[in-house]
Amino acid sequence: MILARIDGYATATIAHPSLKGQKIVLCTPIDEDGRDAGMPFAAVDPMGAGRHSRVFITTDGSWTQDTVHDKTSPIRNQVIGLIDAL
Amino acid sequence: MKPGRVIGTVTLSQGAPQFRGARWLVVSPMGKAELTGKNSGLSQASTPVVYDNMGAGIGDEILYVEGAEATQPFENPIPLDAISVAILDNYTYAPPVGDA
Repeated sequence: MILARIDGYATATIAHPSLKGQKIVLCTPIDEDGRDAGMPFAAVDPMGAGRHSRVFITTDGSWTQDTVHDKTSPIRNQVIGLIDAL
Repeated sequence: MKPGRVIGTVTLSQGAPQFRGARWLVVSPMGKAELTGKNSGLSQASTPVVYDNMGAGIGDEILYVEGAEATQPFENPIPLDAISVAILDNYTYAPPVGDA
């Protein structure tokens, strides 16, 4: 599980089929004080998180294979929670 | 998934049989400075070699996945650490101003 802040969005026409229709966010990992803590990464976001909102991300590929209904999906990162208070 | 810029390709004269027909990209991971456009060159991060079946070329910005999930698209076991999953058309990246 990673704490992160949504800092951007990405679109891709050519992508693994399991990314079709998925929203892709670019996020920056943060620490418990909300400070940046590492290299930015991308995730799929079924929750529609807003810019600069804080989110909770899983890196569990098998969970994401379930939610995108594709056992061949290599996608790992997915937004699974929007943080109210940290 | 991590964002990266394709900076080269690799070809093998010999390889594991599972790699027949494989295409390999040398990728420079994109950090904050690269995503915000402050640095249009290479990042400081070490450069992974990534399996590619999308046809990404040098200069393209891609997303790639590292780890066991990289082998998920393949029916048979394959000794793979990283795979490209998207060629980016567009992206925005703007951390809040004044944040550490």
